[in-house]
Amino acid sequence: MAISSDTTHDQPQPGRPPWEVTRSVWSALFVREFLARLMADRLAWFWMIVEPIAFVAIMIAVRVVVLGHDAQIAGAEFVPWMITGLLGFFLFRENMQRPIGAIEANQGLFAYRQVKPVDTVLVRCYLEGMTRSVIFLLFIAVGALIQLDLLPDRPVMAMAGWMSLWALGIGAGLTLSALSALVPEISKLVRIVSLPLLILSNVIAPLHLLPHDLLVYLMYNPIVHGIEYMRVGFFPYYEPLPGTDITYLWYWALGLIALGLMLHLRFELRLKAK
Amino acid sequence: MIEIRNLYKRYHNHHGSDWVLRDINLTIPPGVNVGLLGRNGAGKSTLLRLIGGMDAPERGDVIRHSRVSWPIGLTGGFQGSMTGRQNVKFVARIHGGEAKVSEVIEKVQSFAEIGDAFDEPMNTYSSGMRARLAFGLSLAFNFDIYLSDEATAVGDRMFKEKAKKAFKDKIGEASLIMVSHQEGILKELCHAGIYLENGHATWFDDINDAIKIYHDATGGESKADKDTDDAPPPDLTPSDKDQAAKWLKEYRRQWRQQHTALKKARQLRLPAPEITARKTAMVTTRQHIDQLEAFLDSNPTPGGGNDTTNSPNTNQQEPPHS
Repeated sequence: MAISSDTTHDQPQPGRPPWEVTRSVWSALFVREFLARLMADRLAWFWMIVEPIAFVAIMIAVRVVVLGHDAQIAGAEFVPWMITGLLGFFLFRENMQRPIGAIEANQGLFAYRQVKPVDTVLVRCYLEGMTRSVIFLLFIAVGALIQLDLLPDRPVMAMAGWMSLWALGIGAGLTLSALSALVPEISKLVRIVSLPLLILSNVIAPLHLLPHDLLVYLMYNPIVHGIEYMRVGFFPYYEPLPGTDITYLWYWALGLIALGLMLHLRFELRLKAK
Repeated sequence: MIEIRNLYKRYHNHHGSDWVLRDINLTIPPGVNVGLLGRNGAGKSTLLRLIGGMDAPERGDVIRHSRVSWPIGLTGGFQGSMTGRQNVKFVARIHGGEAKVSEVIEKVQSFAEIGDAFDEPMNTYSSGMRARLAFGLSLAFNFDIYLSDEATAVGDRMFKEKAKKAFKDKIGEASLIMVSHQEGILKELCHAGIYLENGHATWFDDINDAIKIYHDATGGESKADKDTDDAPPPDLTPSDKDQAAKWLKEYRRQWRQQHTALKKARQLRLPAPEITARKTAMVTTRQHIDQLEAFLDSNPTPGGGNDTTNSPNTNQQEPPHS
């Protein structure tokens, strides 16, 4: 963002207002990121859509083959329940992980003083959220055609849940991208943690089979709240895990976003120099 | 105008850190081209980055009263997997939105002259092609001060001429702060100089003084020093035949250089005064050659007919008269 640091002053001149500069940086970065993603290799656009679909298909296949079809989930069919969980979790995970690479990938651009590290993070999160949303809409459309119960019963609520997970991901991404410049090992740690998080977030195996004593601790994980909230929006008779509270997630999301922005402001030069 | 006040800069790393720049106080007046000199690692690029606002000082201030470009150099600013056109579009968008894009692309294309490579990924470019694109890109925007970090070092002759011409055209509208180890280009383009040593900066109103200090500090025989030793004195009274022959050789070399420079200038369609200046220089050299030949003819070597075969008339073209 076009905030001039306190030691270097640009004299007021017939230039553009800061917000306009920031906006043109965002739109330029967006086009660039989008093109880079599309042209990464041949058929990149195809894989952008097919990769998450294939991943979800494999996860469902494994789950059905290994654990059988009779996993009971109160108020929801098993496959749609899992699709919502996986897509919601991926939205969070990608928004958390992608920004860590964003700053390094765009290092050369900091030659132009309009571009700040936080811009690359925000633009990448926006692009990630948009592509994930399109993929989700594709799932819903195809699901509706093959009579999979994937049409949200309360669309606004489902969308609110989706947005919450996105916000949580952006917060985590902002914070971790700044921290990983200070402590490079963070990016490895994030990758190690992401699989256990998948299991602990009520995505593959229903957590309500666990004893209540344990569940209390698992509910400290904010991702579960977002996924459960979104599922309530999808399935009219769904029983979320006891203690599901979307406000709890938003405390985390807003806290992480604020922390991330502060870290970016404080360590901007370290992030640029790296 | 750029003011630098009590500026300190160091880079942190794991082994402690020393000051790269210490207590720099400079005022760079508007319209003055400045050359930055110093050894490798003296902090020239760091100072340029600080002036350009890419980096912030530990202490002190850099106050920019005008629009300053990004440091034009060999590294950074481009994404290798994207084409030249896409990279140019990106920078144009940052600097003023969609409206300017096509205008900027046109300017860059006509300056860089890299042909179809403009639509190839940039990691296929040679360093000279990158330099052309980077240079053309910065010139497409109207900055008051351009920063150049060895931007012309890798270019071919024609590109260097073109870059010089571009900056000469901008005199009066814009100025230049450049880091370079090529003394020729520094002398030609810059008025003032800054010499950096041990983190301290010294300002010289005349670039030649800065170059001299740089030579004194770096010790060893530099090329420019040698040139002045070999160069004939302006009054041209050779003491003996050997010296005359040596000077004659030197002048012929100069004449050949000036000849190619003139050809290049015509190719580039430089403005008329530039061409005339080059022609006058050639005429002067030519006069010296004639003078020396006359001297050698008047003191003939016993049995030596070599002088006639070495005459520029036989193995070189006549200087064009027009």
